[in-house]
Amino acid sequence: MTTQHLDIAEAARLWVIRARDSAFADWDGLADWLDSNPQHLAAYDAAVDLDDWSEDLFRHRQPQPVAELASFRQPQPSYQRTRRWYTWGGAIAASLVAVASFSMLGRHAPEEIVTGPGEHRTIPLADGSRIILNGGTRIMLDSDSPREVELAAGEALFEVKHDDSKPFVVTVGETRLVDAGTVFNVVSDRGLLDVAVAEGAVIYQPGAREIRLGAGDGLTRSTATSDPILRKALPKAIGGWQSGRLMYSNASLDEVARDLGRNIGTTIRPAGGSDRLRFTGTLVLNGTADEVLSRAGPLLGVDFASDGDAWRMTPANGAPPY
Amino acid sequence: MGAKGTSGLTANRSVDLGAAASRLASRTKGAFSEAMEREEHIDGLQRIVLNERGRLLRFLASRGAGDEAEDLLQELWQRVSAATGQPISDPVSYLFRAAENLIRDFRRSTLSRERRQFDWHETRPADNDEPTGERVLIARERLREVEAALDSLGERVSQVFRLYRIEGEGQAAIARRLGISLSSVEKDLQKAYRALAELKARYDAE
Repeated sequence: MTTQHLDIAEAARLWVIRARDSAFADWDGLADWLDSNPQHLAAYDAAVDLDDWSEDLFRHRQPQPVAELASFRQPQPSYQRTRRWYTWGGAIAASLVAVASFSMLGRHAPEEIVTGPGEHRTIPLADGSRIILNGGTRIMLDSDSPREVELAAGEALFEVKHDDSKPFVVTVGETRLVDAGTVFNVVSDRGLLDVAVAEGAVIYQPGAREIRLGAGDGLTRSTATSDPILRKALPKAIGGWQSGRLMYSNASLDEVARDLGRNIGTTIRPAGGSDRLRFTGTLVLNGTADEVLSRAGPLLGVDFASDGDAWRMTPANGAPPY
Repeated sequence: MGAKGTSGLTANRSVDLGAAASRLASRTKGAFSEAMEREEHIDGLQRIVLNERGRLLRFLASRGAGDEAEDLLQELWQRVSAATGQPISDPVSYLFRAAENLIRDFRRSTLSRERRQFDWHETRPADNDEPTGERVLIARERLREVEAALDSLGERVSQVFRLYRIEGEGQAAIARRLGISLSSVEKDLQKAYRALAELKARYDAE
């Protein structure tokens, strides 16, 4: 009786272990097993509870994500995330250096700030605003007009102290993004422009027609001359890259590939129709490019293959139908 | 009965979708084309739910839904329609997984409702999201013990468990990464879960 009970518990745990794998497909087999003995269902539920319990337990290891950046709170001791905190220590130091060189260079013509692949840097501005640069990003700052920043390439999150009399302006090519009290993220990539507003509002001024974007609005324009496409963005997901995670809701893998590449410092080329796939979920960025991509692949339903100094991204299960 | 339920589902959803699509259409052209894409996508899953209706119902029933299997299938339909846009490599398995998650959520909410009714006088609003200091300390203490127990099974068992359960890697990827067979991965996971079950039984008794 007891032995049989233990066997059932063991078998139930094995089903829970197997079913957790995204490749699991034997759902009829699971139903057969559940039906074969009236005790199996309770044993299976107990194994599910065990699985949940272990997740809750390990959650106590994670440092609180997001928002930390603002306060630079001391991290909780943690396994495997520690490295990232040290990296942040480096980033903070780097940004302090940037501030120092800023005020010394002052008065001169536009200053260019460039981040290397995968490097994050925070640029505090004199008015209390902050610009957080993602990897592979180039911005131009002009001390003569401190409320105007040119995003030449890459991605940055702007946390702007709003001033009605002096609007903060981000320029991308000929397009102006004017803040109206705001936290917003901008991507500029060879003509592509993507804006997502987390708080407040931003006015998109491509020239003649203005578009006002409120919190939770996103806008993408694939080339300087194409029509912008509006979308809804998750405010808490905007600028998620700064805390080592990328969050998506129904995003094209084209976009995901671009973001991943910028964050891990490589180029990812969609192939075989993978750009037609869509993704909803969160990708975690810690680790090497290999590690990030091997985690992301199954989530995105794609395979990544090294291709010289870039990566090819192909659908894991053949070309999507549409 | 089957046919009636089926046409009911279809009619409900197409009305909702029509309204959603026209709401979106009034916003922008781009958003509208997204809505169209979404609708095509739902049609695909819709077909599969209809095709696999019998298997899904059987699974829900075996999984403990009993007489409520039909209602849960309806709920599954709603969820699947709302969760568009993910790349779905194996739609049939995707639907079964969604059914499994539905049962788990259903069971969790039933359990927590029962618990709330049982000890409502001890429940403060803050209990739900902000763990108290003491509970955090207990949880950390237990986590230390669990990690020690996993480590005592060998470095590989502990590593396999973390990759699988915490990092969410697949068994095949773990096998490739560590250069071991799939069945070794599964055996390691069984060892880890067995150790966890023993500890949890002890804590539950405390």
